Amino acid sequence: MSSVNLRKLLLPFALAALGAIAMPASAAVFVQCPGDTNGDAVPDAPGDPNVVCKHLAASDGFITMADGRVLYTFGYSDVTGTPPDQAVNTGLLAANFPAPTIELKEGNKFYLTLSAAGFAMRPDLFDPHTVHFHGFPNAAPVFDGMPEGSFGVNMGSSLTYFYNVVEPGTFLYHCHMEATEHMQMGMLGQLFVRPAQDGTQKTYNGKNYTSFVYNDGDGSTGYNKAYALQLSSMDHVFHEVHLGVQPLPFANMKDTYAMINGRGYPDSVNPNPLPAPAENGGLVSQKVSALVQLNRALEGEKLLLRLTNLSVTNYYTVGTLGLPMRVVGSGAHIARGPGGKDLYYETASVTLGGGESTDVIVDTAGVPAGTYFLYTTNLNYLSNNDQDVGGIMTEIVIQ
Amino acid sequence: MNKLLHQLPRVLGMVASLLLLTAANTAWAAIDGISGPVFNLTAKADYISAADGASIYAWGYANGNGAMQYPGPTLIVNQGDTVTINLSNRLPVPVSIVFPGQQGVTASGGSAGILAREAAAATGTVSYTFIASQPGTYQYHSGTQPALQVEMGLLGTLIVRPSVADPLHQAYGHAGTRFNHEYLFLLTEMDPAIHDQVAMQVAAGGAINVDTSAYHPVLWFINGRNAPDTMLDANVPWLPTQPYNCMPRMHAGEKLLMRVVNAGRDLHPFHTHGNNFTLLARDGRLLESAPGVGPDLASSDFTLRAVPGQTYDAIFEWTGKNLAWDVYGHTSATQALAPNEYAPDHGKPIPVILPNLQDLTFGANYSGSPYLGSFGALPPGQTMVNGAGGYFHMWHSHNEREIVNNDIFPGGMMTMLIIEPAGVPIP
Repeated sequence: MSSVNLRKLLLPFALAALGAIAMPASAAVFVQCPGDTNGDAVPDAPGDPNVVCKHLAASDGFITMADGRVLYTFGYSDVTGTPPDQAVNTGLLAANFPAPTIELKEGNKFYLTLSAAGFAMRPDLFDPHTVHFHGFPNAAPVFDGMPEGSFGVNMGSSLTYFYNVVEPGTFLYHCHMEATEHMQMGMLGQLFVRPAQDGTQKTYNGKNYTSFVYNDGDGSTGYNKAYALQLSSMDHVFHEVHLGVQPLPFANMKDTYAMINGRGYPDSVNPNPLPAPAENGGLVSQKVSALVQLNRALEGEKLLLRLTNLSVTNYYTVGTLGLPMRVVGSGAHIARGPGGKDLYYETASVTLGGGESTDVIVDTAGVPAGTYFLYTTNLNYLSNNDQDVGGIMTEIVIQ
Repeated sequence: MNKLLHQLPRVLGMVASLLLLTAANTAWAAIDGISGPVFNLTAKADYISAADGASIYAWGYANGNGAMQYPGPTLIVNQGDTVTINLSNRLPVPVSIVFPGQQGVTASGGSAGILAREAAAATGTVSYTFIASQPGTYQYHSGTQPALQVEMGLLGTLIVRPSVADPLHQAYGHAGTRFNHEYLFLLTEMDPAIHDQVAMQVAAGGAINVDTSAYHPVLWFINGRNAPDTMLDANVPWLPTQPYNCMPRMHAGEKLLMRVVNAGRDLHPFHTHGNNFTLLARDGRLLESAPGVGPDLASSDFTLRAVPGQTYDAIFEWTGKNLAWDVYGHTSATQALAPNEYAPDHGKPIPVILPNLQDLTFGANYSGSPYLGSFGALPPGQTMVNGAGGYFHMWHSHNEREIVNNDIFPGGMMTMLIIEPAGVPIP
């Protein structure tokens, strides 16, 4: 059964769900953001410059695979700037994949409001949602988003997480409610924290840098331009069965579409948001390109690749052809021993299990201009289901 | 999936009552196992219970005449011991043991096999001897047709304690490996279809001939149990062939040693909610640049990439430092600090208002309060499984397809770390 037919079949239920969003009196969108007076998660008066607010809505949606197949998904959308009385309607069926990127700086006080907007296509479901800031140091359960030890937020309501951001690095975020299901369905995103050292100037090997991966003290993690590349994969059968309101096949989960920033190759190198699928009413749901471009004359020579994997089924090894890779950190931690010994290493490939992050610096000095590839060496995942060219692959264009 | 979710509190409720009932009987909650240096193991068949209700035919090592167990007994010896393992075989196939990471293993008796001398089917015996020269965490497993026999359950952990003043609180010779509590995380997966085929062939009395390449695991284990059974007490009577649990507990400011063993055939990224861990050792060797300098090559991470066959030792710590609010809920800076409390946050309130009860769906391990050691209001009828207001952090495979039991979520390769309030005794 195609998803389009199912959608037609379920449309009446979806419309009913829209009506049902008018929740009991207690449930309401409630945004908490210091300095914000109208609830749109944007401070209205100058205040603490370290305060950062974001408002995410969690709902369902649709995305397009590189072979044209449209998948039903769960996900987050960014409703920062949306008045609170419109946040649920704006967020409904608006799931992005990957989730909106969260970029922070060390020292930030991060107020993240999550509003559960319900499911347009699954009005039978009442699943709450969470945000798990994966890797947040010294976490307390109340803001960890792991619902067995805390709670998830119900449909129509909001929950504001607070994070005092003190450690730089490449983290991840995802929903932890019924984690296997919600993560397979696409509630995955990128989250990274720039270090306090950013903005200062350090000289390393004769070159000046003002952007760094970590507070290295010596400029050794300095870079000129950064890209975050998140690996993930989906099992289209699971998604189709989900939309068909059938029991979910956990035991037989087998991913068929491997992606980088939510896209299989060649969609990965499309620099623009992918065209909106008709199934979600024409909302752009895949906004993040995986194309890496560096103009050395204007931007400098060092690329930072923030690599993460949030597949729920597979580890992936990714490598490059013709580009030197230097690992300077993993797990949101500089590659240094407890006593400060450098553990940086040169490599041509990096392996990432689910829930892992690695910071790779590519020094393009002396590299001929051209188009280079970054791709998975799990070669069977250079595919978009039965289309055997695609999957986890993107281009690094060096000028 | 909501229905399943709502069953979880009930299951966990049973788990907690059991923990509370039996906690007093646990004399010492260091890693369960048997001490040597001479071990008498018997390879035999029995059934194990998966958390989805399945009863699965398995092969395993028993301690002497005891029950077959999955995993085999954790063998705990001291550095320098001359270790002898006398293996008796009650299985219908030859069987053996190999000891990865040990040097100079000699075998006597039995007959020659490919990886090790083997005890003949049904009645054979063989003995292995080695000197446990290096401290650390190791595994042992069958060296006979390992693709089948390890899947069937013939595996276990070997722990070598260092020659130091307090070997129960130090992993290696260097003081940088000291710890307060230690827990084992033996990671395996299982394809019950293989076990069913072996059971039928054994019952038929013929040769055992199973295609292990058609491997499709649907059950994932820590220390031989699927969640939520991982959080039951050790040695519960209804899991007679799965004696080991995995219920890590610690206080703020303490060091918890994770001994992680991947005894399966798939990679398992093991994620520690709550904080990063520091990886100290791999395959029983300290990550050090020169002998004796200590773990100067240790690395910090939030997901331990456990690859098949490897073992790891890591230290996990948690203090609640730098959250910018007081995790103990002190309302005034004049109140006394809790032990190991991060003083700069003392007395600071949580900077946001938590939602109303009816806006949230609560997990069974939430005490009702965001503060460590406190309780708070929960909706009527809400199950609450948290004896002391501890902080529960899930530790699990981040291949989330492995935190199910067959088609049922949650389960599998998952347990909870409990950060207990100061004063709650942890054996």
